[in-house]
Amino acid sequence: MKNRASSHLLIILLILGLEIAGYFAVHRAGLLRGYETSIIGAVRDLMMFIPLIIIALWLSRNKKFAGNWVLYTTAILLFSFGMLIQYRLYSDPEYNARNKAQAREEKMQALRTRYIMENYDPVKKQLMGLPPTPAQPIEISQLPKKESNYSLWNALTSSYTWIPVFSFFAFAIAYSLCARDGFLLWLQRNSFIIVLFTLVPLAMAVVTSSAGKALGNMTPWEPSKIPFLIGFAGILTARYKDLAETYWGIPRARDIVPLLVMAVLPFIPFFALKDFGQMLIFSGAYTTLYLVAVRRWPQLLLFVGSVIIVIGILVVGALPRDIQEKVPLLPTIARPISAALPARIQQRFHLWLDGFDPPSPETSWWKKEYDESLSKDPKLKELADQSPAMQKTVNIDIWFDKLAFQPAQAQWGISSGKSSGRGFGLGFPEVIPIADSDYVYAAIAEETGLAGGAVIILAIIIFVVAGVRTSLEARDMFTKLCAAGLTAFVGFQALVNIGGILRALPMTGITLPFVSHGGFSLITSFAMLGMLMAFSSRNARDRVIADRPVAKSSSPLKLEAVQ
Amino acid sequence: MNLVTILLLLFQTPSPSPLPTPHVLERTPALLTLIYVFGFGFVILLLLLGLVRSRRQTTSPIPEDLPKAVRKRLGSTSTNRGLRALRWLFVLLSIGLFSFHIYWAHYAAERNEKFQELSYKDLRGRRLSESTLRGWIFDRSGRVDQPLAFYRRDSSGNIRREYPMDKAFAHIFGSDRGDPGLERALFGVQSGALPEALEVVKGQQIEFRGNQDVRLTIDRALQQAAVDQLKGKHGAVAILNPQTGDVLALYSEPSYSLAEVDDESTWIRLEANERDKPLVSRALGAYYIPGSTFKTVTMIAAFLAGEQDTEFTCSGGGYYAAPGANVIFDDGGPGEVHGRIKIDQAYEVSCNQYFAQMGVKLGAERLKRAAQLLGIGAYDTPSEALRGRKLPQIWDASTDAVKRALAPREATIVTGKQVTRYDLALMGYGQGYAGQMTPLQMALAAATIGNLEGKLMKPRIEYNVKPEVFNQVLTPQTAARLRSIMGLVTGGPSGTARGVFGPVKAAGINTGGKTGTAQKIVPLYDPKTGEPKTRHKVEKDNKGNIIREYDEVIMDNDNPRIDGWFLCIAPLEKPQLAMAVIVEGGGYGSRSAAPIAAALVLKAKDLGYFK
Repeated sequence: MKNRASSHLLIILLILGLEIAGYFAVHRAGLLRGYETSIIGAVRDLMMFIPLIIIALWLSRNKKFAGNWVLYTTAILLFSFGMLIQYRLYSDPEYNARNKAQAREEKMQALRTRYIMENYDPVKKQLMGLPPTPAQPIEISQLPKKESNYSLWNALTSSYTWIPVFSFFAFAIAYSLCARDGFLLWLQRNSFIIVLFTLVPLAMAVVTSSAGKALGNMTPWEPSKIPFLIGFAGILTARYKDLAETYWGIPRARDIVPLLVMAVLPFIPFFALKDFGQMLIFSGAYTTLYLVAVRRWPQLLLFVGSVIIVIGILVVGALPRDIQEKVPLLPTIARPISAALPARIQQRFHLWLDGFDPPSPETSWWKKEYDESLSKDPKLKELADQSPAMQKTVNIDIWFDKLAFQPAQAQWGISSGKSSGRGFGLGFPEVIPIADSDYVYAAIAEETGLAGGAVIILAIIIFVVAGVRTSLEARDMFTKLCAAGLTAFVGFQALVNIGGILRALPMTGITLPFVSHGGFSLITSFAMLGMLMAFSSRNARDRVIADRPVAKSSSPLKLEAVQ
Repeated sequence: MNLVTILLLLFQTPSPSPLPTPHVLERTPALLTLIYVFGFGFVILLLLLGLVRSRRQTTSPIPEDLPKAVRKRLGSTSTNRGLRALRWLFVLLSIGLFSFHIYWAHYAAERNEKFQELSYKDLRGRRLSESTLRGWIFDRSGRVDQPLAFYRRDSSGNIRREYPMDKAFAHIFGSDRGDPGLERALFGVQSGALPEALEVVKGQQIEFRGNQDVRLTIDRALQQAAVDQLKGKHGAVAILNPQTGDVLALYSEPSYSLAEVDDESTWIRLEANERDKPLVSRALGAYYIPGSTFKTVTMIAAFLAGEQDTEFTCSGGGYYAAPGANVIFDDGGPGEVHGRIKIDQAYEVSCNQYFAQMGVKLGAERLKRAAQLLGIGAYDTPSEALRGRKLPQIWDASTDAVKRALAPREATIVTGKQVTRYDLALMGYGQGYAGQMTPLQMALAAATIGNLEGKLMKPRIEYNVKPEVFNQVLTPQTAARLRSIMGLVTGGPSGTARGVFGPVKAAGINTGGKTGTAQKIVPLYDPKTGEPKTRHKVEKDNKGNIIREYDEVIMDNDNPRIDGWFLCIAPLEKPQLAMAVIVEGGGYGSRSAAPIAAALVLKAKDLGYFK
């Protein structure tokens, strides 16, 4: 595998071929359940490869891209896997239906009809009121099917058409801009102003949003990650030498204070938005950058230590009571902490550590929802009042209907996928709410099993390794930090998302980069990819110049070189 | 000729149970999925290769002669060292995450108890049971054209489960609500039953019982006869084959319609009906005072203890079990006197005084032993005896789920230390602490005597299950002796059911039986609403403060409900039926329950059971 445009174009074509196979699988599986998947939707999705190939050609011909093509191909691999899963979910009439019960009933009838035609003998069929045909395997064309009502107009107005297109534009723009030294220099010099200007639209988003979402089910603040990162990288580039000069292990206040201000700024809007997932990713990325740039052991220990303490406090506060009581003194320590934790965090931690056990109805954050369900259903209330044992059963029922519904269904889905999965269209990921964005990994795990999960995780690893290499090769501090930061964003986001679904971490409402097509998340991911690739290409050209002994003295680098 | 026989056989026997779907059509998408995933795996491999090959040798080799510290610095900048470390950290974290995936995919279903316990919450299980057709249910003839549960396509083209005999089998089959019956026990589906893509492609088949047809031991004609006989009454019928344990009929009236409880509000209404309790299978789940039918159990105990030849006196003065205890008379009061009698005669005329004295003579230990052999639980205290545990292990069934679905409440007696002579006397003739009997349990007691080898066979309801012995209770000789004693009740000169069984005798069938009558005090019901009447009670302490207020159900002490019982075995020479009939509020057993039993025996003769 050479790092050439032509070989990577071949791989992209290979992915396209596999993608066609995948779409065919979804189509056939749909027929087995009595519905026809949309051909228009499939063609629309596959046509996304045209701009992707054009971009690849544009990069290599017009832009003389010399950087690492692995970044691009890996992103496309993740993107197409995600696209297929979305197609599978949205073509299922039940997934997005208003009347889910009816859609489900129709699917079940299709399966039953087929079972009867294949397995019942003529006598039984006659008794049922069916034509007495012998039991024999039937052709797929004999099955009744519900036609897809997805029209060309639907396709043209769908966000699933336009968001990828916008993402490709975002990629092209980000690449073109970041490929220019002048722009990078400007970015670095004005980073503080950029951050301040980003805060203005974010403040508006905070005001208009509800429950961590705005404009329907979108998170339009997602792209603000990029200016925040540039701001932090900019200030770190300016100060990192001073920061490294420590006194008793601590940098001087005039160096550290502006940096801290810059670091805290993004947390304010995200805290207001209750988007704890993004805060987690920001902490991860900023810590990475700081440690990479400043690299002082005491500070590293300080960082790692404080992270462990914060996580420890959170976990102690969120531990279920019966576990707390097993350790002496723990309840006394934990009570004030859990009282101080926001309800949403307590709830997420409970789902993480003890998701299969409902909290007692007296728990502060659960009581409201529990009481609400009881007041809606007087029968349940009557049952709950009968006896403590009955109340426990009712509590479990409500818990699994409400808060634990999504994570628990995802868990069972992953478990049913085993090693090779159920096969596209043959599992039941449609029972998981929002399986197309936050829980896309659960849908992948159900239908393609451990193998599909391994593909996704390996692809993320490859992306991160390639991104880190871009950062390693960067010859100036600003792009080095930017590349490291972008990679950290993508990598941590993937870890936090997958970890949440697999219950290795608490669940946060963030998406899997490139795979979930959750609106702005995809656009942001592609813009980040554009920047990374621009840096990668720059590195390659710098390397060519640097290797020429004559040109070494007159390096075109205007940005500050690494020590 | 041969051809005709084969054709007939084809129509008579149930169709060979269909093999699990071989997933032919699923194979294409499954194979394409595998190709897709492994293709992507190949692409990943190529990308990894590309990553390795494009690794640039950062610097030219460093001269060896430089000091170590300098060489280290030249090797790479320290910024890059930090980055490399973070890269490896990330790789490790990702692999760690993947191990979580492995856990959920492979170990959670087997090792995680919470995960298993709550798997009924998994919506996939419901999907599967909805999409997989349950097997059909046939009666003991196995005729495909007369199913008890099958599918039919309705006018709108939907395929629906139908029950041609609906109410007659409602308690046995059970609906999707409430406790599971045979329907859910036989055809329940677990989501683990479906194969993964690789297995589909390889054509592997998964063992799956959920869609196989089932043949029951129940005779639809006999069951229907029981329904007809109990119509308009409250009661239950249990008929077993004493030699094999086959359940031939099992019905409780009032019953409910399986089609109607599809509607949740109907279900709730039925569930709330405290007076008629239509959802409860009386044959399995209701406690009755057995009255004189329990003398059968006492008699078995007497034979086991070797007291069968003991004579007792039945006098006009009654029997005092202990000084100061209530006197025990026969049903006719002081006027009914049998004199000094043996066990045969005492059973024939249903003498209370005799069996009361026998109960005292036997004592708690020997009663307990006999009861336990018959599957009756013997507990130390009344509160334990009243707890109403289930007894699934009495059944002979293919799976534990079936046993649980049909588990009767355990019939109990009290044999602890606090049991007095008077209690023993009452138990001896089926009153007092013997008041927790189920119709199935009494049928089993009759079946024990009916068994030619004196064995108690476990009841079985699936035709293809091998008969199993619950206990060897009696010797064959004792069983034969007991059968002849039971024969006196229907055939003896002063047998309590002689008159009613006249037509049966005339039809040439020798039977054995036992009548029983029991008074039970029940709540008073409001005739308009059907709700139990209550009175408001306020408890006060001596200062006049209210301690608690509650509503007390008014018991109708003046008009106790009189339940009629009848146990029956037929024909006496080689019993094919062992039957228990109870009619709530029917009056004397000889007048309410015995005629039903007689009619059912005649029906069984018509059906060819006594050939």
